Amino acid sequence: MQALLSFDKAPPFAAPLRFFLTAPLFSLAAGLLLLFVGPGLLESRWTPGLLAATHLVTVGFMLMVMLGALIQILPVVAGANLDNPLAVARWLHAGLSAGALLLAAGFLLGNGALLGTAALLLGLAVATFLVASGRALAGVPSTSPTIRGLKLALVGLAGAIGLGAWLAVAIARGWAVALPSLADLHAGWALGAWAGTLLAAMAYVVVPMFQLTPGYPARPSWWFPGVMLGLMLAWGLAVWLDAPQGIRLAQVLSALLGIAFAVLTLRLQRQRRRARSDVTYRYWQLGLASAILALAMALTATAWPALADRAGWSILAGILLLVGGFMSFIIGMLYKIVPFLAWMHLRNRGGPRSPVPSMNRLLPEADAQRQMLAHAVALALLLAAVIAPDWLARPAGVALAVASGWLMVNLLGAARRYRQHMEKLDREAVAA
Amino acid sequence: MSHPKASHVVDARYMEPPEPFVQTMEMLDRLKPGEKMLLLLFREPHPLYKVLRQNGHAYETELLADGTFEILIRR
Repeated sequence: MQALLSFDKAPPFAAPLRFFLTAPLFSLAAGLLLLFVGPGLLESRWTPGLLAATHLVTVGFMLMVMLGALIQILPVVAGANLDNPLAVARWLHAGLSAGALLLAAGFLLGNGALLGTAALLLGLAVATFLVASGRALAGVPSTSPTIRGLKLALVGLAGAIGLGAWLAVAIARGWAVALPSLADLHAGWALGAWAGTLLAAMAYVVVPMFQLTPGYPARPSWWFPGVMLGLMLAWGLAVWLDAPQGIRLAQVLSALLGIAFAVLTLRLQRQRRRARSDVTYRYWQLGLASAILALAMALTATAWPALADRAGWSILAGILLLVGGFMSFIIGMLYKIVPFLAWMHLRNRGGPRSPVPSMNRLLPEADAQRQMLAHAVALALLLAAVIAPDWLARPAGVALAVASGWLMVNLLGAARRYRQHMEKLDREAVAA
Repeated sequence: MSHPKASHVVDARYMEPPEPFVQTMEMLDRLKPGEKMLLLLFREPHPLYKVLRQNGHAYETELLADGTFEILIRR
């Protein structure tokens, strides 16, 4: 069994773990930013503080975990091995960490040099990953919707980072560009073509596997990533041609596509054969409900543009999608991935008769459930803070920082227990 | 459980990891050379593929409309 679970190039635990342990620091920083800047941060989508906080969450938390997890998961879900996973992990982790901090600082201080440096660092870090994963996937045929989704998501990532870097340089240099429509396009690529497509590609595997649901139907799963990417290309073309109707159409269709995916996943979850609702399942329920609401708000705003101009509407939708949706999906998966990897590496290290702590002992479910409650409270307070910023902006910042810190404590606990047990196995090996 | 493609079937669609892997390897151990077995899963098992290749087992995979992967493995 042990030999069977380890395959040659399975990356060492250190490769993904560094990403998982660092990511919560960035969402914690976003919470602290809200605490220190206060109600003014939520005045509009475009305040320096909100731009900084948003990118701390999207780059520092989301992108950090997603790329770290991909280094680990590519061999398992696609049979694609990175040539040197630990070296890629080191460079990528350093580039993402420094880039996310500089980007946030650049927005906050309105400093062009910082923004430009952040764009360069993030561009280089992500390019390194794209080259490494592109080479690993090059010889892999798209035999499943997951592999096809992964490949197209990487195209989405390239587009999202390319647009983001270009926007950062445009702001830094003061170029005359249509910032709002390009920022929307950047967000569409980052959340639709990249994060949404990656989420779907992973969901095809992990939802049936972890929650014992039926599988995703083959045909729609196969088409989803391509249609999403096509819509993002159409959106880009419409921006290029300055065709507002085309932009709206692409926005409406991509939001509907996202809602369809979320509703389908909810339906599959209802048919699950696991009676117990574990924390991953609950986090996904919260994520799906939040994402559906956020996308419905985006749809409404597209149909009645006056709503989008109303202060708060797009901020509410953004909080729902990022903190309620993507952060929930990601944390829910971390609570499965981290104890599973710790268990697997211990299992591979120890002999067949050497007992290994269960996944639940490595990261207790009760701790994860309590952290989830803190996350739900943070989400509720953040939403309420948009409506009553003077009263609630600072408490919401504290709540996000607490939930993120708690996540980090839970993950560090699992890493500590893993290390303690590994040292014990090493001592036993020496004694034997 | 039987199936038109093979008389030996492991339906692992609602099993938790690593159960599908363990049951497949156990079933393969019981087969005679040349016999075939069918594994049903809602995902492609790349780690298993690797072990099958290392052990010299040929396999073919088909994706069905409901999202089931049918993996036909020869002992």
